[in-house]
Amino acid sequence: MAGKKGKSSDKAGNNKLKNDVVPDERLQAIVLTDSFETRFMPLTAVKPRCLLPLANVPLIEYTLEFLAKAGASEVYLMCASHAEQMSEYIEQSKWNQPWSPFRVSTIMSLESRSVGDAMRDLDNRGIVTGDFILVSGDLVTNMEFDKALDFHRKRKAEDKDHIVTMCLSRASQLFRSRCHEPAAFILDKSNDKCLYYQDIPLENSKLKNAIAIDPELLEDVDEFKIRNDLVDCHVDICSPHVPAIFQENFDYQFLRRDFVKGVLTSDLLKKSIYAFITDDYAARVESWQTYDAISQDFIARWCYPMVLNSNLLDDQTYSYESEHIYKEKDVVLAQSCKIGKCTGIGSGSKIGEGTSIENSVIGRNCHIKENIVIKNSFIWDNVTIGSDSVVEHALVASNVSIGSGVVLMDGCVIGFNVSIDDNMTIPVGTRLSDTYVHKPVSQFLDSEPYSDDEVEESEANPDNALPALALVGANGVGYVYESDDAHDDDEDSSVVFNGTNALTHRFDDLYLSDNSISSMSAKHKKKRRSSTNSTAAANGRDDEYYEEDMDEDEDEEDFAAEAIATVERAMENNHDIDTALLELNTLRMSINVTYQEVRSATVVALLRRVYHFIATQTLGAKDALLKVFGQWGPLFKRQAFDQDEYVDLANLILEKTVAQRFEKPEFIVFTALTFLYDQDILDEDAVDAWWSQVSQDPKYDQAKVLIAKWIEWLRTADEQSSSEEGSEESDSE
Amino acid sequence: MSGDINVAVASFIDRLKRRQVSGSYQVSLETLQLLKRFVSAARWSGIDDLIAQLRELGLRLGKAQPTEFTCGNIIRRVLALIRDEVEEEAAQHNQQLQVTTEPMISSMFSLLQRPVAAPTTATTTSSQYHQNSPSTSSEHPKADMRQVIIQGIKDLIDEISNIDDSIQQIAIDLIHDREILLTPTPDSKTVLKFLIKARERNNRNFSVLVTEGFPNNTQVAHQFAKKLSEHGVETTVIPDTAVFALMSRVGKVIIGAKTVFTNGGTISSTAGVSSVCECAREFKTPVFAVAGLYKLSPLYPFDIEKFVEVGGSQRVLPNMETHRMGNHNRLDTVNPIADYVPPENIDIYITNIGGFAPSFIYRVVWDNYKQQDVNLGHTTKR
Repeated sequence: MAGKKGKSSDKAGNNKLKNDVVPDERLQAIVLTDSFETRFMPLTAVKPRCLLPLANVPLIEYTLEFLAKAGASEVYLMCASHAEQMSEYIEQSKWNQPWSPFRVSTIMSLESRSVGDAMRDLDNRGIVTGDFILVSGDLVTNMEFDKALDFHRKRKAEDKDHIVTMCLSRASQLFRSRCHEPAAFILDKSNDKCLYYQDIPLENSKLKNAIAIDPELLEDVDEFKIRNDLVDCHVDICSPHVPAIFQENFDYQFLRRDFVKGVLTSDLLKKSIYAFITDDYAARVESWQTYDAISQDFIARWCYPMVLNSNLLDDQTYSYESEHIYKEKDVVLAQSCKIGKCTGIGSGSKIGEGTSIENSVIGRNCHIKENIVIKNSFIWDNVTIGSDSVVEHALVASNVSIGSGVVLMDGCVIGFNVSIDDNMTIPVGTRLSDTYVHKPVSQFLDSEPYSDDEVEESEANPDNALPALALVGANGVGYVYESDDAHDDDEDSSVVFNGTNALTHRFDDLYLSDNSISSMSAKHKKKRRSSTNSTAAANGRDDEYYEEDMDEDEDEEDFAAEAIATVERAMENNHDIDTALLELNTLRMSINVTYQEVRSATVVALLRRVYHFIATQTLGAKDALLKVFGQWGPLFKRQAFDQDEYVDLANLILEKTVAQRFEKPEFIVFTALTFLYDQDILDEDAVDAWWSQVSQDPKYDQAKVLIAKWIEWLRTADEQSSSEEGSEESDSE
Repeated sequence: MSGDINVAVASFIDRLKRRQVSGSYQVSLETLQLLKRFVSAARWSGIDDLIAQLRELGLRLGKAQPTEFTCGNIIRRVLALIRDEVEEEAAQHNQQLQVTTEPMISSMFSLLQRPVAAPTTATTTSSQYHQNSPSTSSEHPKADMRQVIIQGIKDLIDEISNIDDSIQQIAIDLIHDREILLTPTPDSKTVLKFLIKARERNNRNFSVLVTEGFPNNTQVAHQFAKKLSEHGVETTVIPDTAVFALMSRVGKVIIGAKTVFTNGGTISSTAGVSSVCECAREFKTPVFAVAGLYKLSPLYPFDIEKFVEVGGSQRVLPNMETHRMGNHNRLDTVNPIADYVPPENIDIYITNIGGFAPSFIYRVVWDNYKQQDVNLGHTTKR
């Protein structure tokens, strides 16, 4: 309200009062519209998560509504994936009208790949002037923000080093919309100062749960409490130092895991973070499961006064009836249809005779025909469902047409524009999309720091891209989207996959399970601390840079040994690749070496592993290579970026193979390179360029025999290579 | 119409939706302020045009917050005021000295002076009769009309801001010494003020039972009781469930009304009032409802469900308990935050212009509103 002071100052006395509460300070808000996650695939391939409707209202509206109530006067939306869609939406929304309670602007931060990147971008732009609210764009809450702000101000007056207030909401252990990333907060009992933060590995991951707290952190604390019953809804009140801290610590990616922990454990920063605990409803839509839970809670009025019949969008006309039934105007209900409790129906929808609907949300202009059962489901706009179908606990996105007699089983997600033929049965947990959505590349990098939606839609790979005719029928349109969790979790336990990120009811049992994140945490823990320390150390050293030159060589050697050890450790303990990458990266940054060193170390480590396999006769040469490179090859993707570097990589492989003294170096080199080529890690140009450098060089003649033939074949038979590639790839898996 | 006023209207609607303005008193005052600006900024070709614009505004405000009737009431009051003005002018213009138009005076204070048994049918029919002819022929200078309307709005503002005083004057005499009162609406400021006044001015000794109003109004009830006791009123907080047991000792039940409908029924701002009134009827305890005139609504409660707002579930079942797991049989909660009291359970309404029986409310309503403005959505016959 502070924003329109000039216009409404004569309106009522209380206006001025409210202005006093926010003393001459513009309250800025930063909304992170990208979650940098892939949980809502395949839908987020087309639309950003923030624009997906929850109870027929785009998610971002809930957040903006919250900010309007909180009294923000400037709102900046940080957009990364699908940024054009976001800004277009905002431009046309009521928030862009002159009577909007705040000024809203979108910031295109296209290159951001994590929260950390976005924060650094924010810092570069220098928008932030005072304390600001940092929220994600998928927040649903009725929290009374004034209280949190008061808390923040009070603490700030007491403690000059106070930089962040985290708003956390209390929840019981099994509360459904509880955060997907369980975490323990260690708080000072007297003033809720956060002493330590630790994310908890999931129940069913094999890692041991243990929290290691540095005793120093608890030095001047009388009493503290450890809480893991808090829903972390990512509403933070931050001081302007926060983006700067991200800037200084360029390896920070996550707000909690990196930043909060980093700040708390840092010896140098000496900043403090407080937690504000509220009893109000607050949750983030961060997975299918929370989507389901929050939607139902919203319908059941847990988020009052934010309810469906308060018609958040201007053109909505919902009205409330008992048993939590919401109907817009122009809904056509057949006389014999049954509308059960907790249901919302958008305008223009028609429900046929004998159909029964319960616990569901139906969008606008849907045509639901006769004798259909819809339970616990979410049906978005313009959907047609044929007679005698059964939709149970499924999500059907916009513009889908479903034939008659179709059964959608528990946990199905039907993507935009899919059409399903008559009498088909879609099995439990299937996700369909209308175009082939490539599995996100990010799966072997990290399911998180990679932005959601930047997924290539491949046309090149026709094998996987076949429409799932067996599911959608002859006249249907639809491709199966494989859950990215499947791969990540194979290693952990096969159970996890079913439980992780589906809409299915099975969650209820395994509800605390999660995807890959958990698997990183254990090792991470130790590493994280050391990395912050070493970064800090590196920063410290910068000042005395000139003294340092002589240490350089030593450093590099250190690095090689350390890095090889890191990779080997990762392989032995079967870490996921992200952890390994992160560790390597921190190592690289702290010792300040080039990527070349990193590559060399990685190659050496991988080859040693292969050698080990062959030497112990566990695996044959080829199998060993495929296994090791298949699993760890993607590391190179994050270590080499242009052609020169790839050439260098190929060189390294050649050199190190020879250095490793394999029995048949030519075979090893050949298999490694062809494999990397097949995996699209090396491209043809790079191979070409490399060969033209190496072929003249007589040094490793023996090792190059097979390669020569391969290169020859490559040059002549471009076409065939692509098809063979496909089959080989499947072999390797 | 200038953009400025549009912005003001839209932001007011947004604030209504967001419940940043709440409580009938505040809503009514803000609506009046908005109307004042609206009328002074609006451009209209004829008085009919202005009326149409106001009706549309009323419709939009009504949709923004369907259970907040005050907006609509205020707009209808202003509409009635305009129509009266038009009528009066027309009467003068036509030089037809009709006797029946004389009692139609915009101020309601005249009502008090006149005996209440005025011929109701005559006035309503006459107003309809007049309505057909004169408004089309209004060539009255606009500026003048604008002044008149704004003056009328200012009068309304005065009336509303002084409402408590007028109610107190009437109601205080109704409280006797050593009486036990019960109030189930602790959120009503009118009730609070008038109890305090009764204690201070008349120096009466009486005690007040305050129901707890679980779950939505518990805190308010405690505040209410505290304030009363600070002013020397003997106060007891009782749980909602104890009402029946204690009713036999209660001398009067006093409720604050949020909205009063034409039939004499009322929406109270606390759930549970209805059962209290039912109890009171059982024990033949008189029920007094206090309401400012602006809370009278010309609507008829055909669909009570639509008028009773349902609040948040978290109040009923706090702490997001473990039962709420995602299975088919979720634990459901319903938390109505208002209550409808039928007219037969209320004995008398005390308004700022006097006390009326519920059966008489319709008459007061038609003195203040025009029939054709009841449904703002309809573009009825001009």
